[in-house]
Amino acid sequence: MNVLIVGGGKVGQGLAETLVRDGHSVTVIENRAEQVATLRHDLTGLTVVVGSGTDPAALEAAGVRQAHVVAAVTGADETNLVVTNLARLEYHAPRVIARVNNPKNAWLFTPDMGVDVAVNQAALIASLIAEQAEERIG
Amino acid sequence: MRAIIIGCGRMGSGLAETLARRGFQITLVDADATAFERLGASLKVQRIVGVGFDRDVLLEAGVERADALAAVTASDDVNIVTARLARHIFHVPRVVARVYDPRKAAIYHKLGLQTVSTTAWGIQRMMELLSFSHLDVIASLGSGEVDVLELEVPALLVGRTVNDLTVPGEAHVIAITRQGRTFLPTLGTVFQAGDLVHLAASGENHRLAALLG
Repeated sequence: MNVLIVGGGKVGQGLAETLVRDGHSVTVIENRAEQVATLRHDLTGLTVVVGSGTDPAALEAAGVRQAHVVAAVTGADETNLVVTNLARLEYHAPRVIARVNNPKNAWLFTPDMGVDVAVNQAALIASLIAEQAEERIG
Repeated sequence: MRAIIIGCGRMGSGLAETLARRGFQITLVDADATAFERLGASLKVQRIVGVGFDRDVLLEAGVERADALAAVTASDDVNIVTARLARHIFHVPRVVARVYDPRKAAIYHKLGLQTVSTTAWGIQRMMELLSFSHLDVIASLGSGEVDVLELEVPALLVGRTVNDLTVPGEAHVIAITRQGRTFLPTLGTVFQAGDLVHLAASGENHRLAALLG
């Protein structure tokens, strides 16, 4: 499976590691030079494209047209949303996943914005913690 | 008319002042409170500190009753998300996003979003202003009042006549070199692709530049 990950920070890198280990073909777009160096140093079997994930030229260079899955996992919600817009509406990616940074913005991550699955990390962690706390209280 | 402007930089503040003068009721939104210092003290506009695509901020700005919204922050992505939201969810009748990246602007335009790419416009205008520089001055007569220039005929002038490039008292075609042979044209001579045109021009050559645009 071809997976395009936009954003090579901790989340993107962790995701890339898992997918490479599972034998998928993974490309990461990252625009911070030091982060690009870290990715290239820490991970093998991965393509890193330097650029902005909302730049159509960078997306095309990273093979967005051949991607089976596009994952927008930068730390900026507006960037992730523009990536999902472009991936779905311009490049017709079959599956589009996005990270929600600020839970306040979760309502924007809709199919109309090109999002199939929104991963709301803050809400996820909050509900897990609440679950654990409630179990203890019984 | 009620207009919301997202981003109080040079464009946002200028737009707010111009629209307010025309009687618009303006609400300005910027994530940075100090951005409003750009505004003239006398300007009566609502000011909201916040992110443009934050639902609470947009509701406070009156997006449900707004006639127009312009998203002109320094971030293409913020502008795009805000504009899409204003259009698709709040159904604001007129929405424009400033998008620096010309390709992104073109894609969103195709997707039904009004975009203004100041970069593409700037390049176009710069090209127009700079295109005069392809004229080579081969001789300067007198104290430089009259120049003899040489240029390859621009595509726009192919098929047009020498008369079209003549501005009495300012620019005259004095010779054309065509396929290695140079001759004196008449006003009716038609330019062909590849012609090398020799011109005598005076003054600032403004009108000549416009003709060659």
